[in-house]
Amino acid sequence: MKQTLIVLFSFVWLHLNAQKSEQIIPQEAVTVFSINNISLLQKVTIDELIEYDFMDEIHQELFDGSTDQKSLKDAGIDFDQRLNIFYGKNLKYELSGFTFGLKNKTDLFKVFDDFDAMESPYKNVDVYGSFFNNLIIQNQAAILVRVEPLESHVLEVTDSIWYSRGNLSPYYADFENGEDNPDDNVMNQEIDMDILTKNYNEMRDSVQFILQNAYFKEVMEGLFVQRKSLYSQAPQFQEQLTHTTEGIFYMDNARNFEKTNNLWYLKTVLPSLYTDIQEIYEGNIIVGDLILKDHNIEFQITAKYGEKLGSIYQEMNDSKFDKNITKYIKEDQAAYFTYNINLRKAYDKAFEVIVPILSKEKNQDISMNVLFLKLANEFVNKDALFNTYKGSMFGTFNGIQKVKTKKIEFFYDEVTFEYGERTSEAEEDMPIFTLGFTTDRPDIPELVLSHLSQVTSKFEKKENYWIYNNAIFESAPVYLINKNGLLIVTNDKDLADNHSNGYGAESISKKAVKAIKNSGFMTAAADIKIAASKFPTDLLQPEQQRLIESLKGKSGNMKLTSSDTSSNQTNVSLVYSYEGQENSGKHLLDLLNTMYLLTK
Amino acid sequence: MKITHLLFILPFFFCGCIEIIDDITVHNDGTGSFKYSINLSSSKIKVNSILALDSLNGKKVPDMGEIVEKIQTFKNTLETQPGISNVKTEFNQVEFILKVSCDFTNVVALQNGIKETLVAISKEKNTEIYNSNWITWDGKTLSRLIPNAIAVKAKTYENSDMDLLKNGSYTSISRFDRAIDKTTNVNAKINPSKTATMLRVNTYDLRQNNHLIENTISLTPN
Repeated sequence: MKQTLIVLFSFVWLHLNAQKSEQIIPQEAVTVFSINNISLLQKVTIDELIEYDFMDEIHQELFDGSTDQKSLKDAGIDFDQRLNIFYGKNLKYELSGFTFGLKNKTDLFKVFDDFDAMESPYKNVDVYGSFFNNLIIQNQAAILVRVEPLESHVLEVTDSIWYSRGNLSPYYADFENGEDNPDDNVMNQEIDMDILTKNYNEMRDSVQFILQNAYFKEVMEGLFVQRKSLYSQAPQFQEQLTHTTEGIFYMDNARNFEKTNNLWYLKTVLPSLYTDIQEIYEGNIIVGDLILKDHNIEFQITAKYGEKLGSIYQEMNDSKFDKNITKYIKEDQAAYFTYNINLRKAYDKAFEVIVPILSKEKNQDISMNVLFLKLANEFVNKDALFNTYKGSMFGTFNGIQKVKTKKIEFFYDEVTFEYGERTSEAEEDMPIFTLGFTTDRPDIPELVLSHLSQVTSKFEKKENYWIYNNAIFESAPVYLINKNGLLIVTNDKDLADNHSNGYGAESISKKAVKAIKNSGFMTAAADIKIAASKFPTDLLQPEQQRLIESLKGKSGNMKLTSSDTSSNQTNVSLVYSYEGQENSGKHLLDLLNTMYLLTK
Repeated sequence: MKITHLLFILPFFFCGCIEIIDDITVHNDGTGSFKYSINLSSSKIKVNSILALDSLNGKKVPDMGEIVEKIQTFKNTLETQPGISNVKTEFNQVEFILKVSCDFTNVVALQNGIKETLVAISKEKNTEIYNSNWITWDGKTLSRLIPNAIAVKAKTYENSDMDLLKNGSYTSISRFDRAIDKTTNVNAKINPSKTATMLRVNTYDLRQNNHLIENTISLTPN
């Protein structure tokens, strides 16, 4: 009996203390998506999985046929453990990858067959490497990771070595800035050099290789020697992992602030100011839960922040919603958002928090800027300023419409075939957007517009609105409606001509208005089918295009609402309701991918 | 994005409503003039929206300054080609209309001049595509077809706006000092004085079948 109890106790102890996938996420990770119920993903093929953007950094070498027709289930993955997708970036390198539970090593290497075993300096840890990525296995948990030095950092180190050796600029030849293949020029100029001397590109590659190894080692040492992981270093991440929802999200926004490259000047030249500003962001962590329901995925997000940042947000979000704006949102609107902030209070609080920090600096430029800020604060009529833009605003997307434009066309003489040019009417597709905000001082925009109309004939006053001709790319007009306590800017002629007082019975329901009013500082809603299919993706950056592309062909709604802001947190809820019979795991990944793109 | 493509190839297949005219005059002695016009005026919102981007489909989008500079480089390079003179370029940055014209001593000089200029400014590794002949003249017959570079590039571009291409046109005009006897392309129109022929095709159709503007024009004897 005693022996049985010891065996039983040992089994329970081992089980409780076994290494779990979430415990080997590097502490350098800034963003983590952790999927709890990964059995949902059993039917998702690996080829589908690696198509997602969160797999972008590590997917290239997996496209070699080894993953064809294979699902996660075939890859020896333990579905009783979490799948954790992480991303992190600091001033020197970025890392991305995922950790997972391992059930069958043989099956794993049938899929991930590009990895070769490497010598492991860490006890009970197996290390495998491929061209770009590393796979590390400790007990029943594995991490697939890519650590890559930032190009700017690689170039900085390369330049330093290059010039210290007495070399001239590698770009001294007929290098044309902005050409597609500057590397060719750099390579060509080195052709006569001693073949034993590395040219610039070779040196850059060597530096990259050395740095990549060094930073990989740094990450590994942290994990397996110092035994510091995100799990052990971030109590809020640990706490979030106790949630039994389908997935959790964690982002350390304080470190996100730190990774911002354009702060390098502040960090190097004004370190004390950098530290002070960083203090404002201390504790700014965003956590979330992914909850899967029937035809419904909810993403409950909580933004946590410290006292100083919280005081600014709290003041900013302490604002009365102007329901007048809802008259301009149609019931069948493809997509809309409302945003409600108290700019006056936010300004006063930001002035109270930030100016003392800036005032401490002895730097001449900063001191002059602080002086300017203080004088502006004294002399500017803040009542006029903040009554002109009060803080409630909205935006709508109303699909694509044909708009009238002018074009130059060629015409031909049918006898001589000579041709000339003439101006004629044209129609072009244009996305229809409306943006409006509340104002207590309509006289100020009116003053500006009246003045502009005297300066240029492009501004014309019509009965219900102002028109700014050829405002969009010298082609299409923009309408400015300044009435009912709102200043609305739109390219929707129908709105300007026929609905300058709102859509009346066609506008969103009272129930929806009430929901907007009660939902804190921000709401957004989109009919995915209409918004995704009509949204002009040409206007977006490639990663944003992929986001819209991933939503095409789907039907359902996306709704975002926020709670009231307290001094230490704000809650935001994103609900994605979908129709059809598509695999819910696929929907979960789609949403997760969307969030990844938005937060990266 | 290769700026050369943007100017000469990409608009042909990428943008929707587009007008292209090539207009060649060949005198009896083989000398002549060539005019090439691209009109993107009716797609200017789309072109402007693309130019507002940093990149498209993973390729860098040039800014207006780079385009203007590249046109100038094209002009400067074409001017130096043997047998080419009087090179003029005109670019309407508001309406997106580009016009290029030059005189030539013979059509071989014109063909080589354009080919060498495109090779010089494109910095492409694969210059093979510029090598094919697209125009020949033997004193009584002028043969024209679509340059290989355009035909090859046409196949490499994916186009999500295929419907819009249907509104575009490509017009090919050939002028002579003496009367045209016959043309091989049945769609070619001949003017009343029989000294010029015009062939007009839809850009979408041309993308699908690049033989549409092939034409051999035979002239009456001197």
